[in-house]
Amino acid sequence: MKHLLQQILQSGKFLTGFIIFLFILLLMIFYPMINPGDPLQTISIGTFAPPGTYVSMYDALDTELNVFKLDNAALNRLDSVLKPEDRVEMIMWFESAGVKVDVTLNDTEALLAAWNEYYDSSIQPSGMTKAKRNYYKRLNDNITRMLATIPKVIAKISEESGELVEVRQIKSTDYINTNKVANVFNLPLGTDNFGRNVLKELASAIKTSLLIGLIAGSVATLIGLTLGLVAGFLGGLIDDFIMFITNIFTVIPSFVLLILISYSIGQEQRGAATVAVVIGLTSWIWTARAVRSQVISLRNRDHVNLSKLSGHSFFRIMVADILPYIASYVVMALILQISAAILAEAQLSMLGLGPKTTEVPTLGLMMKWSMLYSAHLNGYWWSYFPVILTIALISFSLNLMNTGLDQVFNPTLRD
Amino acid sequence: MRKLMLVLFLLVSISFIFAGGADEKSQAGSTPAAVEEVVTPDTLPRDQTLYWNGLQWGSINGYNPISDDMNNFVVSRQAYGTRITTFETLYMFNFLTGELVPLLADGPPVWNAAGTEVTVKIKKAAKWSDGIPVTAEDVAYTWETALKVGNANGNSNKPYIASVEARDTLTVVVKPVLNAEGTPKNRLMVDLYLSQEYVVQKAWIQALEAKTGGDGAEMKKDAAENVVYSGPYGPYFADDQKVVLVRNDNYWGQDASMWGKLPAPKYVAHTIFSDNAAGQVAFKSGEVDVSQQFNSNVQDMWLKEGLPISTYYEEAPYGVSGSIPTAYFNLNVSGLDNVNVRKAIAMAVDYDSIIANAMTNQSPTFEQVPRSTMNPTPGEQGLYNQDEIAHLQFVGNDIAGAAALLDGAGIVDTNGDGIRELNGENLSFNATCPNGWTDWMAAIELVAAAGDKIGIEITSLFPEWSVYQTVVTQGYQDQYEIIMMWTDGSSPTMPWGRVRQLMSSEYVGTDGNWSGNWGQYSNPRVDEIIAAIPATSDPDELKALYTEANEIYLTDVPSFGLMYRPNCFEAVNESVWTNYPNAEDGKNIPPGDLIHGYSIAGLYEIELVN
Repeated sequence: MKHLLQQILQSGKFLTGFIIFLFILLLMIFYPMINPGDPLQTISIGTFAPPGTYVSMYDALDTELNVFKLDNAALNRLDSVLKPEDRVEMIMWFESAGVKVDVTLNDTEALLAAWNEYYDSSIQPSGMTKAKRNYYKRLNDNITRMLATIPKVIAKISEESGELVEVRQIKSTDYINTNKVANVFNLPLGTDNFGRNVLKELASAIKTSLLIGLIAGSVATLIGLTLGLVAGFLGGLIDDFIMFITNIFTVIPSFVLLILISYSIGQEQRGAATVAVVIGLTSWIWTARAVRSQVISLRNRDHVNLSKLSGHSFFRIMVADILPYIASYVVMALILQISAAILAEAQLSMLGLGPKTTEVPTLGLMMKWSMLYSAHLNGYWWSYFPVILTIALISFSLNLMNTGLDQVFNPTLRD
Repeated sequence: MRKLMLVLFLLVSISFIFAGGADEKSQAGSTPAAVEEVVTPDTLPRDQTLYWNGLQWGSINGYNPISDDMNNFVVSRQAYGTRITTFETLYMFNFLTGELVPLLADGPPVWNAAGTEVTVKIKKAAKWSDGIPVTAEDVAYTWETALKVGNANGNSNKPYIASVEARDTLTVVVKPVLNAEGTPKNRLMVDLYLSQEYVVQKAWIQALEAKTGGDGAEMKKDAAENVVYSGPYGPYFADDQKVVLVRNDNYWGQDASMWGKLPAPKYVAHTIFSDNAAGQVAFKSGEVDVSQQFNSNVQDMWLKEGLPISTYYEEAPYGVSGSIPTAYFNLNVSGLDNVNVRKAIAMAVDYDSIIANAMTNQSPTFEQVPRSTMNPTPGEQGLYNQDEIAHLQFVGNDIAGAAALLDGAGIVDTNGDGIRELNGENLSFNATCPNGWTDWMAAIELVAAAGDKIGIEITSLFPEWSVYQTVVTQGYQDQYEIIMMWTDGSSPTMPWGRVRQLMSSEYVGTDGNWSGNWGQYSNPRVDEIIAAIPATSDPDELKALYTEANEIYLTDVPSFGLMYRPNCFEAVNESVWTNYPNAEDGKNIPPGDLIHGYSIAGLYEIELVN
């Protein structure tokens, strides 16, 4: 056993796959510990908050101030609203409004001076679209806001008179240390269309999807193994019958079967476990065939015949004399089944036939809702790309481990 | 064996050749004119064509204006403004102002003193596409036909309109059905009739009758390829990819008594997209000019992507809200027949999240516009006394309040499974809407989430639309328990129509119920109010009636609005056309995609981008 483990761990492929898988497992286990709570809880109002660090503006106002006089602060502020293409657009506005100004793109001061002097939102240059006019209005608002050097006033509504009472003034040189703000948090992967924390959901979805994989893989392997063992060992009419059934299932595309079964079960009954069992029920065929052929080659070996002669029961022969020889194959098949089942769940969910929503997140459901909200068209990459990457990595690592194991166990592939 | 394979191979090859040959033959068999047309619509000049999305899904069945089954965006009666590119109505409804603007009619409808008839003049200039003038006879005959063939026009107006007659060539007299006091049963429905129903040419209908032997069902089935129409655009091309209409350059509306000119685009076309995402890609790239799709976070298109796209209002909610997508409690289901359960669910739902997530803020919140049976428009809001029922207008996400309500009513979890019981049964329901209706699905998910928080198990269920609509419109069904359906958009009958739609018992137990009250609510007092409102003209009395109706609605909670939604979405891409109607231009042209009712005026305003 020790030797076997050593051998397995020496396989580079297995090790790489295992490390990737371990990393995913760690994410699944530890992220919910750092950030406990319901993964399906809506934390933000609105869709698709981008990844980043969020600082409570409300708390920030009450945080102790530090004053910094930085040379580039004003410039940074301006750059945040005045991109190079905006400068081009400003010059274009002068042209279409028929204003003659002599400014260059890089002469920020002159450009802004001219803008402040001539821009008027009520001017409607002919041929300028509403969308463009709206754009200039927004640009002008931004510029005016950013150029203003007067302090901003925070006021509160007085409970007695209902009037605004000044609380404090904020100058352009005021800074706060985010460590001192009461509410600062990080969303490494932003939020999804329901305003849920994507990373938290992902960690939980990995768990569900692995569970689906495990259940489906176990069901498929169990059925395949049993049928394969019985058919291969007993042979004769029973073998013919089992192979007849298996062949029928081989020619029916299993995914079509999967869709039909999922559809007829109905959405209300489709929990994650049900979906897993259904996936398992439709993917045992190749395991059965492979196990059968291995058993056929085993059943006339001397030690099996000896067992038979000794009067050992069918069950005992199976467990003691046959299974150990095909165990490595079965384990590898199980790994592949798990990986295939995770993919199958994702595919089913994308078709709207996966587990019902709102109970548990799964990788497939996360992708489905991203797609329904056109996240791929609108650049909300954080809601679907990490999911795709996770599925790919799980699948990749499982397949890599499988290949690694194959190299160890399969004599023809040994180095 | 090898010979057998060879024979098989030959057989297969020959069958392929035959199949291919047959295909070619069938193409050659069609008329040469059709072949020519296939080429032209693919090369429509972009600077003469206006493209829509979101109005037409799937290929059309024809252009028959007396049928309800043409699946053609051109032939579509809408209460908030019938689409009038090809067929025209007497009046155009402006859902922004609530006015009826004369189209085929000349001047406003005139009621006689007794209120027993209304007279409508037809414009002298109005002509059909074959050059024959539009007459009062056409209007009367269309009505007769509607009754005879039993289409939606006939069926929905029959209870309110006694007769439509031609007094002379250009004078139509509409007589409403009168109630016992000798006053019209419902004036509002007469206004709706005038602005919603197409006028169809008598001669064309008679030709159709001759062709079909006068059989109503056959008449409705006819695709009407050579239909005579009065609108500015006529049929040009249609297949499963797109529908194209071409301008009738002899359109009567260029007369000074109507528009005074022709609409700007020579062609108007609707590409048929497979889904919202495909439509959105085309809209963003400028292949579509006017989008009637729900584009989530529409503001990102200009704020983040810098696309030349704009909406009616620059800021949220971007459009004019006109309807209230509503979740109806199925009162046939035990548990939901308990008012406390209903109210608790409705109170617990987080509407701000629905509006922010499902509608991406393209709806006012229930704090901005407190919940009632009214639209957010000032006209409707002013029709009830808000102070009187303010205590009933829950704003949602009130988990503690909902739980307290249930606890107080003795509806608690006795067996410790986390789900409350009523009469020993777990409170467990499904909440349902059609699959693929993204914003509705998100709303239903949030309703389900609210249930979990107050110990009521709610599971979401998304059947396909074909299944959904059959079940929901049944007279009795207990399959779907919390049902999401719509309320009608703005129309001349609102907000009375909405009160009726939400609560009228006339729909209880009727099969094929497309009209409302899908939860089968019934309350005699509400029925009285619904009968009284259309006969009431005194503003104070009217206000009292509406207030009482709303009080009952918010007390009994037979259903609850989930968000406000525009009659139709409208976002425009100004890559090719510009000068679309917007809130700032002061023209009061409603954002109805330049096709619904008075919004068609926008087609005469738009111009090419320089």
